[in-house]
Amino acid sequence: MVRRIEVRELRKSFGAQTAVAGVSFEVSAGEIFGLLGPNGAGKSTTMHILVGLFPADGGSVALVGQHDPTQAEVRRQIGWVPQALAIYDELTAEQNLQFFGRLYGLNGRRLQDRINWALDFAGLNDRRRSLVAHFSGGMKRRLNLVAALLHQPQILLLDEPTVGVDPQSRNFIFQNIEQLRAGGCAILYTTHYMEEVERLCARAAVMDRGRVLAMDRVAELCRQHGGETALEVEVTHRPEEVAALGGQWQEDRLIMAVADPVAKLQELARAGVQYKSLKVRPPDLEAVFLNLTGRSLRDE
Amino acid sequence: MSSWWTIAIKDLRLLWRDKLGLFWVLGFPLLMALLFGAIFSGGDGQASALPVAVVDQDGSKASADFLKTLQDSAALKVTLLPDAEVARNQVRQGQQVACITILKGYGKSNQLFSGGEPPVRVGVDPARRAEAAYLQGILTQQMFQQMFTRYTDSSQLRSLLGDSLSEIERSSDLSSTDKQIFRTFFGALQQFTDEVNTGNPQRSASEWQPEMVKVEEISLSREAQLRPRSSFEITFPQAVLWGLMGCAAGFGVGLVQERRMGTYQRLLVAPISRWAVIGGKGLACFLACIGVTLLLLLIGRLIFGVRCDDLPLLGVAVFSCGICFTGLTMLIAVSGKTEQAVAGVGWAVLLVMGMFGGAMVPLFFMPGWMQNLSQFSLVNWGIVALEGAIWRGFSWGEMVWPVTVLLLSGLISMSVGVTVLQHRKG
Repeated sequence: MVRRIEVRELRKSFGAQTAVAGVSFEVSAGEIFGLLGPNGAGKSTTMHILVGLFPADGGSVALVGQHDPTQAEVRRQIGWVPQALAIYDELTAEQNLQFFGRLYGLNGRRLQDRINWALDFAGLNDRRRSLVAHFSGGMKRRLNLVAALLHQPQILLLDEPTVGVDPQSRNFIFQNIEQLRAGGCAILYTTHYMEEVERLCARAAVMDRGRVLAMDRVAELCRQHGGETALEVEVTHRPEEVAALGGQWQEDRLIMAVADPVAKLQELARAGVQYKSLKVRPPDLEAVFLNLTGRSLRDE
Repeated sequence: MSSWWTIAIKDLRLLWRDKLGLFWVLGFPLLMALLFGAIFSGGDGQASALPVAVVDQDGSKASADFLKTLQDSAALKVTLLPDAEVARNQVRQGQQVACITILKGYGKSNQLFSGGEPPVRVGVDPARRAEAAYLQGILTQQMFQQMFTRYTDSSQLRSLLGDSLSEIERSSDLSSTDKQIFRTFFGALQQFTDEVNTGNPQRSASEWQPEMVKVEEISLSREAQLRPRSSFEITFPQAVLWGLMGCAAGFGVGLVQERRMGTYQRLLVAPISRWAVIGGKGLACFLACIGVTLLLLLIGRLIFGVRCDDLPLLGVAVFSCGICFTGLTMLIAVSGKTEQAVAGVGWAVLLVMGMFGGAMVPLFFMPGWMQNLSQFSLVNWGIVALEGAIWRGFSWGEMVWPVTVLLLSGLISMSVGVTVLQHRKG
């Protein structure tokens, strides 16, 4: 796999406030790498350093092998989708794409072809001549995404690209991103939604307060840091011997944290427990974050 | 350079779509030009005459002459009324600016040597005090004119001297010594008047005129044209400056708005230099300034006859104004971090400059100290440059100073603004 993004010991402070404290990771072609963390974790600052908006205080970044992200030839390889809706409300979808395409050196037939592709890709072809001001939040997000794809970048940097989007549009965006990954794009995806990382990313780093707390394949992160599987059993018969099996009772529900849910269910059956429903919740990134920081990601 | 144009065209397109912004840049200045042009012109491009009521209580030949002088004055619109009370009521009701009463005895008063109450009484609407001073000037001028006629007309002068000698003889207040002094003085004056007529039989005394003001006739040359043909030639340069102020404030705020929206960062991440991003935005502002100026002047020319005859000089003035206000835009854009802050600072500075620079009220209406302060207002220099090309008849040499001030101020402001923008993070 060709490494397209390499970040080594990146550091950045704003006055006394440390925003990024020694972050390292790499992203290969055809990979979606997730940066998961609450607001203020340092994800966007890392992203801004990668695109050259801020200089780093220390460490290094390399994009397609180049160390200076402000170079025009490096920037032509980058597609940046900022967290804000960085498109012009008072221009049409087509005019927005024409403008951003021209900034990346596209013109004439090639520009028109790329605009047509982008509008198709975003499902906005029938609204190409509508003012963006009249678009829904989801449509704006899709346009915000494809504005970064016109020049066919090798690297795609997505900074919380689904904020404020309805589930349907979010799904549409996920499908777009998966298509781009399949096309060989190296994608860095920052979010504070663990479901998005679980859905899209093969690997992820959990960030908090400027540091990477853990980084691995998502399944491995859950296995290593997610704790035990939660088992919830709604019982119809509750024998006296069941008290010795542990767990917490909430009326007729028994909730247990177990390493091997199948073995535990067999144990419950042997004890004479009869149940009408059961839920098995394997460890997720929410649990990973909770275990690593002592705080819930959703509370941030 | 193509990226400059790409950004500039996008910004101009955004301005075109922003109806409110467009109003401040084009609509409001045009309204100002039309409104103040109409107010100052009275509709026909000339200063409007003051409506006054006149009551002649004297009914003498002298009072009739004075009344005719007033009626002939282009500065006054005279309504002759029989009753002073009616005249006062008309002033009170706002129909007349003033009522002028020619008091009984006006014809017998020789005005120069008589003391006591003046022979003409003027009542002015208290709400129109500004016009009162103007009216007083006109009346004084007319009275002096009439007095001049009386003292240079030998028959009138002889009659006056005869009346004066009779009054001296009848007077009981004067001592015999005083009476003798006046008899000698008026007798000598009468003898002088007779000698003037006898010595120059071809010339009457009324032809003799003291040379108080030497009036020189000039041909209808360049000098004769050095005044505005209409008030619109004053208000349209003012309107242009309002348009330029609108551009400076609008584009300054627009730049901050782009930073807030995130589009500015997106431009910075594109494979173009930061200089190109700022340059493109500056180019948009400059083109908007030039476009607004040309459009306003075109409207002024086609509809209101504003002169745009010296095109090269006008071109230089317009270009300088464009550079100046583009520079100001850059300075305004870095004057705050939020749109509210930049709009507040921008308009505060621009309005003060407009106020002291003659964009609201022409400079000649302002007191001296304000006119001195206007030297520090770029709006003033913009108006001077435009008026210089439109009706002041500036030569190239005379245009150098305002243009230099505009260009230098613009370039300095631009340097400061661009330097700050270049070094701002994100």
